[in-house]
Amino acid sequence: MADLIKLTGLQRYYEVGGETVKALDGVDLIINHNEYISIMGPSGSGKSTMMNMIGCLDSPTTGTYEFEGEKVHEMDDNQLASIRNRKIGFVFQTFNLLPKLTALRNVELPLIYANIHKDERLELAEIAMEKVSLTDRMHHKPNELSGGQRQRVAIARALVTNPSIILADEPTGNLDSKSGVEIMDVFDELHREGNTIILVTHEAYIAKHAHRTIQILDGRIEKDDHNRKTKKRKKPTKKKAAA
Amino acid sequence: MFAYVESVRMALNAIWGNKMRAALTTLGIIIGILAVTLMGTLISGLDRSFEKSMSFLGRDVLYISKHEWFGEQEWWEIRNRPDLKVDYVEKLKDQGKYVVAAAPVAMRSVNITRKDEMAMGIRLAGTTPEFTQTAFMNIESGRFYTEGEDRSGARVIVIGYDVANVLFENENPIGEKVKIGNYVFRVVGIAEKQGKFLGMFSLDNRAIIPLGTYQRLFARRGWMRFEVKVDDEHIDDAKDEIIAIMRRLRGLGPEEKNDFAINQQDAFRQQYQTMKIAIGGTGLFITVLSLVVGGIGIMNIMFVSVKERTREIGVRKAIGATQRSIMRQFLLEALFICLFGGFVGITLALGGSFLIDKFVFPSTMPVSLAIISLILSSVVGIVAGLAPSYKAARLDPIEALRYE
Repeated sequence: MADLIKLTGLQRYYEVGGETVKALDGVDLIINHNEYISIMGPSGSGKSTMMNMIGCLDSPTTGTYEFEGEKVHEMDDNQLASIRNRKIGFVFQTFNLLPKLTALRNVELPLIYANIHKDERLELAEIAMEKVSLTDRMHHKPNELSGGQRQRVAIARALVTNPSIILADEPTGNLDSKSGVEIMDVFDELHREGNTIILVTHEAYIAKHAHRTIQILDGRIEKDDHNRKTKKRKKPTKKKAAA
Repeated sequence: MFAYVESVRMALNAIWGNKMRAALTTLGIIIGILAVTLMGTLISGLDRSFEKSMSFLGRDVLYISKHEWFGEQEWWEIRNRPDLKVDYVEKLKDQGKYVVAAAPVAMRSVNITRKDEMAMGIRLAGTTPEFTQTAFMNIESGRFYTEGEDRSGARVIVIGYDVANVLFENENPIGEKVKIGNYVFRVVGIAEKQGKFLGMFSLDNRAIIPLGTYQRLFARRGWMRFEVKVDDEHIDDAKDEIIAIMRRLRGLGPEEKNDFAINQQDAFRQQYQTMKIAIGGTGLFITVLSLVVGGIGIMNIMFVSVKERTREIGVRKAIGATQRSIMRQFLLEALFICLFGGFVGITLALGGSFLIDKFVFPSTMPVSLAIISLILSSVVGIVAGLAPSYKAARLDPIEALRYE
């Protein structure tokens, strides 16, 4: 089976005012199924570019990016949109829910672009809302929900298409510490259920939840550590195989 | 497929979220559509009343007089033309093989009195009984005067519908006496109600007496015209023939210009066409202008909408919206704003044409024009929406997500 994500010699340069900024400067990385990864780095390190790259929002200047065997570096805009839709679930720091839609409608949104029939859409959206324990808030608009609840809606939206990875960018950055803990519990639980999770953060205590921490500095991978929890990883993998 | 349904829903939601703005934006479209449909209604009404007026001028009747109805000749040229003489009529009838009937008509304005009642400004015509064949006029009650009465110069009179109403409110006028100046006439007939001619003067406001009587009592000379009914299959030949006869009667040489005019319904038609083009052109100009202005307004508001929702676009793109679906969503939004304007415009126009129909003249709003208006507003919507939608579709998702 192909690696989930395989980056080889990945470079991303920007031209800013006639000067070349090397946001990513030769990244090699393999991510497997059901990993729980945090990507850390100070601002300006290339962390965000790394996240955009993994999230298929950006294309590399040179190098290759394979996602479950699909060559992302060769894709055009529409193919990128499609792979984002099918394989990636985004969770943002600022939630990015559409304010005029109810929680359920927000969760349903990715399925619209997946061209799924309405009845099935609502069913899947409800299942996703159940996973984040928000069935009682389904018909509320985002501004009627607390920060923690909003982020859970956003997670449900990320989950609803059953993506290959969940990519969270500072998911607790806009939350109080109690809600932050709750959200991290949700991610832990999702990982236990067999999901692959990538957290982008600069908070060490958030990064600790992950089993592997990748440090980025000046567009390169500085450190790639497997935390002590790594061994536990095998258990859920078995469970998934059994199921 | 679902994507389309969803795009429609999303577009409608977006408009609903900004009702006031959408309503104001669409004003230009509303005015444009209103202008084009009301103009259509107006023209349909004009057409109808024009045709009604034209039915009083037979297509196969030629009107010979000193001046052209819509001529470009200088006034002194016309003034120097000799008067028409009554005896030409007999010659036209004798010599013209296409002539079916011909009546000389002399006319002046008079007041008609009866006891204390007075009908003022009545157009009194002196003519022969053949007038009943050349003029499209029916007798409602009584009769037209006879050949004998005409020849003997009897003092009999046929009065128009309005004249009868003024002078004889609740009585039967037939056989009663009326006075023009000091001359007493006996009413023999009443003309059917005919209405106004092109909205200019009433055809019910007239009275008709035998030509002989007219000439004896009022004027031997003076303004006169001939109404000549011709074979309706040879109208052009008949016209040529009459010109030839008239030239002979007048003794004109081959080099000399006609010193008389032959008018027909066509002259009015041409005049009317010119007027219609003027009205239509004005309406069209207003329509195009307001649609263009409206379109620019919509383009502007769509740019604002795209700007405001940059983040939303970023989110949609991140979760898998293609350029196409974003483009579609915004195009539909612009289209619906315009269609909404179109519908409001048509609704207002329906109200307007109802009022015109009721209070101005009978008319209907042409259905085809309503359909064209809706198509027009759709086109405006799509054209106005193109640039903003394209901009939205091409937004970089990373930039859009970062937008505050």
